[in-house]
Amino acid sequence: MSIRMCLMAGAVALAGIPALGMSHASAEEITLRIWSLDKPEQPAWNLAKEFDDKEPNIKVEYRLIQFDDVVSEAMRAYSTGQAPDIIAIDNPEHALFASRGAFLDLTDMISKSSVIKKENYFKGPLNSVTWKDKLYGVPKATNTIALYYNADMFRAKGLDPDKPPQTWDELLAAARKLNDPARNVYGLAFSAKGNEEGTFQFLPWVQMAGGSYKHINTEGGVKALTAWKTIMNEKLASPDSLTRGQWDSTGTFNAGNAAMAISGPWELNRMTSEAKFDWRVALLPIPQPGAERSSAMGDFNWAIFSSTKHPAEAFKAIEYFASQDDKMFAKYGQLPARSDITLPATGDAKKDAALKVFQEQLKYAQARGPHPQWPKISKAIQDAIQAALTGQMSPKDALDQAQKKIDAVLG
Amino acid sequence: MTEAWRNRLMLLIALALAAVYLFPLYWMYITTLKSGSAVFATPPGFWPSDPHWDTYVYVWESRNLARYLGNSLVIATGAVTLITLLGTGCAYVLARYRNRWVDVGLFLILMLQVLPASLMITPIFVGFSQLGLLDYPRFAVVLAIAAKSMPFFVVLVRATFMSVPMELEEAALVDGNSRIGAFFNIVLPLARNGILVSAILIFMQAFGEFVYSKSIIQAIEYQPASVGLNSFMGPNTNEWNSIMAFATIYVTPILAIFVLLQRRIVSGLTSGALK
Amino acid sequence: MRKLALSLTDGRGFDILLVAVPLGFLLALSGLPLLYNVLMSFQEVDMFSLGSVIRPFVGLANYKALFAEPETWPIFANTAIFVTASIAGQFVIGFGLALFFWVNFPGASWLRGLFLISWIMPGLVVGAVWNWMLSGDFGVINFLLREAGLISRNIFWRSDPNFALWAVILANIWLGTSFNMILLSVGLSAIPEDLYEAAELDGANVWQRFVTITLPMMRSSIGAILSLGLIFTLQQFDLFAAITSGGPNNASNVAQYWAWDLSFKQYDFARGATISVIMILFVMLASVIYVRSTRQEVRG
Repeated sequence: MSIRMCLMAGAVALAGIPALGMSHASAEEITLRIWSLDKPEQPAWNLAKEFDDKEPNIKVEYRLIQFDDVVSEAMRAYSTGQAPDIIAIDNPEHALFASRGAFLDLTDMISKSSVIKKENYFKGPLNSVTWKDKLYGVPKATNTIALYYNADMFRAKGLDPDKPPQTWDELLAAARKLNDPARNVYGLAFSAKGNEEGTFQFLPWVQMAGGSYKHINTEGGVKALTAWKTIMNEKLASPDSLTRGQWDSTGTFNAGNAAMAISGPWELNRMTSEAKFDWRVALLPIPQPGAERSSAMGDFNWAIFSSTKHPAEAFKAIEYFASQDDKMFAKYGQLPARSDITLPATGDAKKDAALKVFQEQLKYAQARGPHPQWPKISKAIQDAIQAALTGQMSPKDALDQAQKKIDAVLG
Repeated sequence: MTEAWRNRLMLLIALALAAVYLFPLYWMYITTLKSGSAVFATPPGFWPSDPHWDTYVYVWESRNLARYLGNSLVIATGAVTLITLLGTGCAYVLARYRNRWVDVGLFLILMLQVLPASLMITPIFVGFSQLGLLDYPRFAVVLAIAAKSMPFFVVLVRATFMSVPMELEEAALVDGNSRIGAFFNIVLPLARNGILVSAILIFMQAFGEFVYSKSIIQAIEYQPASVGLNSFMGPNTNEWNSIMAFATIYVTPILAIFVLLQRRIVSGLTSGALK
Repeated sequence: MRKLALSLTDGRGFDILLVAVPLGFLLALSGLPLLYNVLMSFQEVDMFSLGSVIRPFVGLANYKALFAEPETWPIFANTAIFVTASIAGQFVIGFGLALFFWVNFPGASWLRGLFLISWIMPGLVVGAVWNWMLSGDFGVINFLLREAGLISRNIFWRSDPNFALWAVILANIWLGTSFNMILLSVGLSAIPEDLYEAAELDGANVWQRFVTITLPMMRSSIGAILSLGLIFTLQQFDLFAAITSGGPNNASNVAQYWAWDLSFKQYDFARGATISVIMILFVMLASVIYVRSTRQEVRG
């Protein structure tokens, strides 16, 4: 206790010295509070620290929040006047805050900025920070999903590892061939979990077949859900896919218990160190040759709360983060949401090849929403997936029900 | 000799039961030594082929575990102290009388604990922020935990006071003790074991409390180990082996201390001052 | 003034003070938050109006909307099954273990202490470990059942709608057993041994002794443990989040998880609060039963 007292007394004394010595000092130190879900091994944690060191007049307080808690913590804080200055928020939740004026309109600041230029960003991520033609944030990073496959298993089952499945039919055919219950191998690993992950994985299938979140019960939507049902019914993927997220599902792929996996670039580091086989990445298969490509768009955006007392400094921090975008992949495996950056090779052949595919796939990535009531739309889709895959409803009925709920939200 | 054989048989059965019950603990330990993907391997590995002992080094060095554990200790100690101070007397009175007011008291105490912390945190956060308590985050969490766990303590300690014969207290009053004197000199010492067991149970719960701590304590310097544990979780990246190593480091010593303590408490009770 | 001081140290005032302070503390820190939830269930709540209590009043609209949902009754039924099965399992196994370790054999108290592990392990870890153990493919439980020849095909504990709720119940029984056991052990050791010696002389067998001595002497402990068990099961949240997330298709969803999901995943705070009010009513009933049960307590 006494140690803390001494430290505090010391801090007060130190703070007093400049105040006495240079009473005309230009700026006194201000504090920026930044909330993000990045751990010590991830970008924002370190960027915040670097910015703190770089700016003598700005003190940064970084708080790590869990993925599940970002929105509830932010709402609680904002409604009691305790909101931070800057927050990293998941892209489908961005509109919820932007539409209610909780985030600061950055349109003017961005147009004057020499670091952040609107035209440098991919369309999907930029779309997610936009509400009514105004920009309420800056994309922090982006990701998408593609098809990982075990080339060794392809060879063992007489499939050509240089020709990964291109269409849904080929994907199912390959999965059937690769499926090997005796050796505890499933053809495919993916996630149909009843949370945002399920929607994230399912929506690209609907979009490739010509549907969208607004029109989920179209022919394409039913075709997509029927394909998923076939995968589950034929046990081409583990029945636990219904209650398992993407990270755990891909874990079974890394362990050699699944021959293919649908997941994103966040897997690359773990896979590089733990998967003891020749793994590769291919674009997400499409419904039929020539169909339009699509994929999910994930990851977070930076936003400034409208309640901040230091908008200029907060924007300066985001500018600093954006200026470091080119180093993020090599250091942390995070993909910048920008088209003007060529990522340097990492030196790991498998990783570099995978990166190329993901960058190609990113061109087709579509934002979920943006819609302020996205969670309700997403919930309707999740319910439909779960009802159909557990056999409690036919894909058509399940999607019809979802459409009804979505129409009610869209008004 | 039959006595000895019976003892051996009992011990054997006890070991088997413990082995079954402690399996999740074993699985926690074994996961710390596996690689991230080996957790998901079929068939499951009961002993890793290449144990990753370095996970412990990484966890200890990367997370400043000592600071987290220190905060957990501060919070748990604070909560137990507050609960014991407030709860013991309350339990004593609720055990001493038998009337409508006692019924109301017991009813309220149980009722107030019904909702999970995850639903209570919003109003508590709102209230604390209006009172300015969020500026003293660890103290605020101690208050919140005390409110959550006190009913548990009161109900248990009340059951303990019930087993203290009323006649002993009455005799003390006849001997010229005041009520306060009889309480501290006669009743409290007799109920000490029950209070101690309950306090230890509360301590261990408070040590691992998570929901209130993560919302109320925002500065990392004051966060307890339970919140630090979650810093290995991320969207699509859960370092399960690190999480388990972190948990192992803080669970094992507590378990050891408890095994030592409860032996004295529970078994010491039979030879207590009651008879 | 002296009279007051005297009352506080030696009279009614002493009792009132001892009860009033903690009760006041509880009413402020638990009572007000409960009221906040009750209030929300009659209001239209918006995520940005969380900080104030003045919000548009909507009467019973939230309740009507809740009971119009097709999943409402199945989820409440699940909650009832979860609570009953969990408490029954925890109590029976806990009592069995307490009686077993009560027989004094060397090593008994050491091993009993180890059982408290489930009380100490953090919720996140317990949830993750049970998630893996209950997994269909790589789960240890299936592995052992298969090796023992009890099943020929894997049971998908978490993802089969017929098993999902029972998977969480199984994990919850494991979690609660230690608490039941340790408290019942304390209760058992408070029973004077001469009672048993007297009964043995009278020729009572083990079962008769259990029914005529053990159970009645334990009445207040059992009442306390069961009512606390009810509260702990109703508060159980981590296991649902970790093992099934209430899925598949709500097969393992219960009131407390649903209330959280509505409030913090779909931001429908009013609906979440409405469910919690129904839970409060349910516990009120249980509390009345507990309080009545204390009427027949025997004072030692």
